[in-house]
Amino acid sequence: MSDQPITNLSEPRLASNWAASTSSWLPAVILLLATIVAWEAVVRIFAISAFIIPAPSEIAKSLVAQWGTLTQATLVTAGEILFGFLVSVVVGVAIALVIVRFDWLGRALYPLVVLFQNVPKVALAPIFILWFGYGLAPKIGLILVIAFFPVTLSMLAGMQSVDRSLLSLMNSVGASQTQILFRIRVPHSLPNLMAGTKIAATLSVIGAIVGEFAGASDGLGYVIQFASTQLDTALVFAALLLVSVLGIAFYYAAEILERIVVPWAPKFSQA
Amino acid sequence: MRIEPIRAAGGRPAHIRHDDDLISAKGVSVVMAKQLVLQNIDLAIPKGSFVSLIGPSGCGKSTLLKVLAGLVHPTSGGVSIAGLSPVEAARKRMIGLVFQDANLLPWKNAVDNASMLLGIADKSLSRAELRARGQEMLELVGLGDSAHKRPNELSGGMRQRVAIARALALDPAVLLMDEPFGALDAITRDQMGQSLLEIWQRTGKTIVLVTHSIDEAIHLSRHVHVLGIKPGRITESLDIGLPYPRDLSVTEDPEFVRLVVQLRTMLRASHQPGGAS
Repeated sequence: MSDQPITNLSEPRLASNWAASTSSWLPAVILLLATIVAWEAVVRIFAISAFIIPAPSEIAKSLVAQWGTLTQATLVTAGEILFGFLVSVVVGVAIALVIVRFDWLGRALYPLVVLFQNVPKVALAPIFILWFGYGLAPKIGLILVIAFFPVTLSMLAGMQSVDRSLLSLMNSVGASQTQILFRIRVPHSLPNLMAGTKIAATLSVIGAIVGEFAGASDGLGYVIQFASTQLDTALVFAALLLVSVLGIAFYYAAEILERIVVPWAPKFSQA
Repeated sequence: MRIEPIRAAGGRPAHIRHDDDLISAKGVSVVMAKQLVLQNIDLAIPKGSFVSLIGPSGCGKSTLLKVLAGLVHPTSGGVSIAGLSPVEAARKRMIGLVFQDANLLPWKNAVDNASMLLGIADKSLSRAELRARGQEMLELVGLGDSAHKRPNELSGGMRQRVAIARALALDPAVLLMDEPFGALDAITRDQMGQSLLEIWQRTGKTIVLVTHSIDEAIHLSRHVHVLGIKPGRITESLDIGLPYPRDLSVTEDPEFVRLVVQLRTMLRASHQPGGAS
């Protein structure tokens, strides 16, 4: 390593980045289009009944025909996901901070958190319906129990991986535990926390749908269940498509958040 | 154990406690995990001197530095830094620490990294005062124009310069350095050593350097203490009489070459485990 400065990310690289990302996306897009065409062809050639596997064109028709219902349901589900995700992050971060800052409490809490992680939380959905009714609350509760754990665990890992020498430096000038926590451990944990947040975003979508399956009168999960009892498989697929779009949207929102919060993280500084 | 008297600049034996000694260790022993890591270390470091500790891996030279820094408490014996315990001295910002890893905060730029410890140590300083101090220290280490760069935009040598600036920002009486250039390539290492000499001469700090480079120890220091293994103890001390200011051309001086041979012989002997001799 020489004593020369390493050049920073500069504008000219953006052009080549675009070209590089296009060529990395292109094969996936081609495969997707080919799959849709093959799907359509197979359904038509073998005359497969629409309530078993609807053709992509049938799904598209259903999407257009039921657009009003579907957008309304999407908004409801998106609201649950967003609210549940935010609550999960806040609670997950709070638990991690308590575990690290209060040693005794941490040693009491951590094993219980890990133990709770082994409960099949999807199975809690009926109980939450029983306790909180059919509204928003049971969905938020379910998302919380499913999604807080990766947030807590990733933030803990980040806070506990601070180099010992750095802690020695801080201790030598008499830094308090609170100063070490907020000046060093918390910012140091942000890249890990952001990785955990992305997992939580994905899990939040699952939590919302499972919550709606267990008992709801609105939302995409409800549409899927209702449509399947009506044998309207095209509508099931249309709703499924929208759930996937929501999942992707939340994942990338979390990724954009990551770039804003931790632009200095090692993954962004590689050439 | 017998230590050859070191002739300091004034001609007095350096290991004898004197008013000019900034640091004195007496009978320091450290036991860790039932192992005797350091045995009966006596050390006197005159104010303003440049002292190197050299020895084979596992000789406890890093532990000795940590004892001086107050990060490890001796099992017996004691250390005084200007009459204070190491922990008290550290709280009074008398000790600047530099480790092999620069340990900069990746989310802060160079100037904020340089003033980070000072900000913790002295809460009365404003952000602007801290910045000014950080900038001043960066200029001292030759990084004045990299103040706004983040660590990932700096090379290994530059990161280590920021770490030195961070230690100097405390305006410590002594700079304790544990293999600060150990992870750098040979040329960068030479440049860093030369810079450190210049900083030493401009600031008049007392510097204690742990190294395993014979050349570095002789190039930089006024006194070299050789540590032996099993148990860690000071086996020899060598006075480097080469005149300051030194630059890299000193490495071609016949006296330098003679000292290298002498120190290498001492180091070879220090690899032999020995009891109390």
